[in-house]
Amino acid sequence: MNTKHTNGVGDDVMKAIREGHVHMRPRWHFLLLSALTLTGAILAFLTLLYIVSLGVFFLRDSGALFAPSFGARGWLTLLRSLPWLLIGFVVIFFVILEYLVKRYAFVYKKPLLLSVSGILCIVFIGGVAIARTPLHHTMLVSARHGFLPAPLSALYGHPLRQTSPDDMYHGQIVDVIQGGFVLVDEDTEDGHGTTTVLLTPRTRLPYGEDFTLGERVVVVGDEVATGTIQAFGVREIDEYPNQ
Amino acid sequence: MSEETDEAIAIRVQQGQQEAFGELIRRYSAKLSRYARKFLFDTEDAQDVIQDVFIKAYENIQSFDASRRFSPWIYRIAHNEFVNALKKRQASRTVFAFDIDTLVPHLASTDTADSAALERDVRAAIENHLETIAPKYKEPLILYYLEDMDYKEISDILQIPVSTVGVRLARARRMLQEAAKNDKHLRDTNLL
Repeated sequence: MNTKHTNGVGDDVMKAIREGHVHMRPRWHFLLLSALTLTGAILAFLTLLYIVSLGVFFLRDSGALFAPSFGARGWLTLLRSLPWLLIGFVVIFFVILEYLVKRYAFVYKKPLLLSVSGILCIVFIGGVAIARTPLHHTMLVSARHGFLPAPLSALYGHPLRQTSPDDMYHGQIVDVIQGGFVLVDEDTEDGHGTTTVLLTPRTRLPYGEDFTLGERVVVVGDEVATGTIQAFGVREIDEYPNQ
Repeated sequence: MSEETDEAIAIRVQQGQQEAFGELIRRYSAKLSRYARKFLFDTEDAQDVIQDVFIKAYENIQSFDASRRFSPWIYRIAHNEFVNALKKRQASRTVFAFDIDTLVPHLASTDTADSAALERDVRAAIENHLETIAPKYKEPLILYYLEDMDYKEISDILQIPVSTVGVRLARARRMLQEAAKNDKHLRDTNLL
């Protein structure tokens, strides 16, 4: 409200208060607001942790996280495998979190770059730590078997999970043949299609060529015939703890 | 007998003694009016904004934490109201857009202890050239030199890092010196 001042600002304001035109908001209003802000900030932070850990899990599960050990082409494969939709959600929730906590002295007293990098560091380290637990793997398996409710199972499928680039394959070795092996390509529609991988003297094998049956590997290479690829690089996918 | 503190009066208002709010108005009316006049350069507009500041302060007094100082709390409300008034007045211009100064860390400013001569010069320059300074630099100048606030209090009022307060004050002083120099040059030229 904006009453006109006649006998000074103070008199007008006090008159408005006495006549009940101006009301003091109750304490619970501010306590509720603080509680909602804090709850919102905690939820945004936990959501960020979950999204980052899900992104790391996807990259690890597809083997894209290990592709850089093949050199520049591997880095490019990793870049093309990044879950951009999840990264978009990270940006959105990060902005929400910054907006909610910017009123707190421990945030505005620090330069924005420090508070942003601080939150990013915590979220990234926390996300990587969560990605190393069996949580997402268990959820993924449950989602594939239809044990998860629809909204949750949607988190573990497309489009959140980026499709592998055309020259990247990952799956379990089901047969070792002369000069290569056969793997069950997890990117095929039913997840059971096989791909023959041929190794050449130029194939990059950062962890050697002692591949065993049942091992999960990531392969970057070019298709030389239908269902057959010539490997540019092959390495095993580190399995999750307790898996 | 020592005077009752602002915080003690604020607690009485919180407890329902609405007349005690009149004492807070009496204590801050002149200070905030001076702050508004320097910041907004329009006495009529400033009075309206000050009235809104006190109304907002009364409405929100229950959010005041009595373990902290009252002064930065009410100045924060005033800052918000002034910025809103400027935004209304300069609808087409950005008053307080994103500021790179708050983004990167700065070295702690070492120039807080101004010499008496420098302080006198700055105060004189504020009187004559304040209108030439952008709002984001003008405000720390007013709070530091005219309202005698320290860096920490200004940091709480503007909700920016303490180091940024130092940076803005240093830049504002340079701007004032520049404005004073140009003014002197203009006067000298006209005299010739």
